[in-house]
Amino acid sequence: MDPTERRRILEALLLASPEPLTAQRIARIVPELSVRELDGEIEALNAEYEATGRAFRVEEIGGGYQLRTLPELAPWLAELQPAPPLRLSRPALETLAIVAYKQPLTRAEIEHVRGVDVGAVLRSLLERRLVRIAGHREVPGRPILYATTRRFLEVFGLAELGDLPTLREIEELLRERAADAVEEPAALAVADPPDDDGLGLDDDDDEDDVDSFARSH
Amino acid sequence: MPSADAEAQAPAFEPIADGRSACQVRLTLFEGPLDLLLHLIRENELEITDLPVAQVATQYLEYLDVLRELHLDVAAEYLVMAATLAWIKSRMLLPADSELGEAEEIDPRAELIARLLEYQRFKEVADQLGRLPLLGRDVFAPPGVELEPPAEGEREIEVGLLELVEALRRTLRQARASEAMHEVVTEAVTVRERMVAVIDALEQSEVVELDALLCGPDGRSSRSLVVATFLAILELARTAALRIYQSLDASGAPRGPIRVRRVAPAPA
Repeated sequence: MDPTERRRILEALLLASPEPLTAQRIARIVPELSVRELDGEIEALNAEYEATGRAFRVEEIGGGYQLRTLPELAPWLAELQPAPPLRLSRPALETLAIVAYKQPLTRAEIEHVRGVDVGAVLRSLLERRLVRIAGHREVPGRPILYATTRRFLEVFGLAELGDLPTLREIEELLRERAADAVEEPAALAVADPPDDDGLGLDDDDDEDDVDSFARSH
Repeated sequence: MPSADAEAQAPAFEPIADGRSACQVRLTLFEGPLDLLLHLIRENELEITDLPVAQVATQYLEYLDVLRELHLDVAAEYLVMAATLAWIKSRMLLPADSELGEAEEIDPRAELIARLLEYQRFKEVADQLGRLPLLGRDVFAPPGVELEPPAEGEREIEVGLLELVEALRRTLRQARASEAMHEVVTEAVTVRERMVAVIDALEQSEVVELDALLCGPDGRSSRSLVVATFLAILELARTAALRIYQSLDASGAPRGPIRVRRVAPAPA
């Protein structure tokens, strides 16, 4: 099979598949496309799309590959969707974040972190298949354990859970932000020229004096 | 507890003094007591790790008062936190127990501080998740070709009970053969467990052959595993989570492997 033909078939498979295609599945359909060679072929496809200004790329999602439109085209595509666009509320995002990092875990454990009841949120996440029941904890009462689904990776465009930032990275980010917040007021006071006529004590600023002089005359 | 810098602290809510209406109140909605506490800490530029509980508790209660004045229901969680804050505050007022050395003194705030730090982390993660390009909001994937059964002849039909039982019998026979090895390992298999396993298998690929499902993940099977899996599949079929198919041959009789297919959930 010549390489162009092979790439065309790969493209067609990606286009026609309703869900991300794993390398194994592709290799089963096209034996000439081994798991080892696939990465290079995907890269070649993406390079071609980029060079010709196509509206989509092949993304690695949940252990498979999928064609996806570029984010900047969302406003036009939203018009095309029969269903209202996906909306995830603040409680839903917080609950998903906790489940993603601490799975599998019980509802009580999620509630301990969030400090509020999460029954309704969990139910809606289960319905949307972003969270699944992953068994029971073997303690009295056998509480249900929750975990994220493959669909979660698909919706958030993650190749695997390891793609999420580590909690240490998050903590560093928060620390940096806290440090910035301390520095900011001082920096602002220096940077802001006292051009606010009502408040500025601009006696020692000649230029400003001239300016306000010019304006009032 | 009045403190010197009391005026410097901006309250979490403030009447809008624009002269239009005296009873307009700017209210920020919070995700819960921890969220409210984090907000108070940020507003007052406090350190979570050195939380001035008395000061924060006063503002926290003021906030709950405003909610009540507005005749809004204050969720029980907020009241539990108010009690926790009051408890910590009282503990901090008590003189240190001289019996205990200083090292053994446990900061009554420790647990609350740990929870606040933890919640702050996940709030940040939630922010980051929300900013990712979401499928169905920011990016879109091709819907794929309809996997409807093709025309006549090769059409898949829903399988009858007899064929299902036949498949079970066949797999059981194989299971018995492998049990002749006489491995004495008791494994408790529950139908519920197998339901989870079947769903997982169907998450991996949409269509799986029944025989492959009945065997365990490593191809080995025991009588109890096969029976539990079979019951799990029937239960899932009953709840319409999956469907069971078999092809028809030229004469219209069912033939070939029985396939189990995941039923696509209704679009969210």
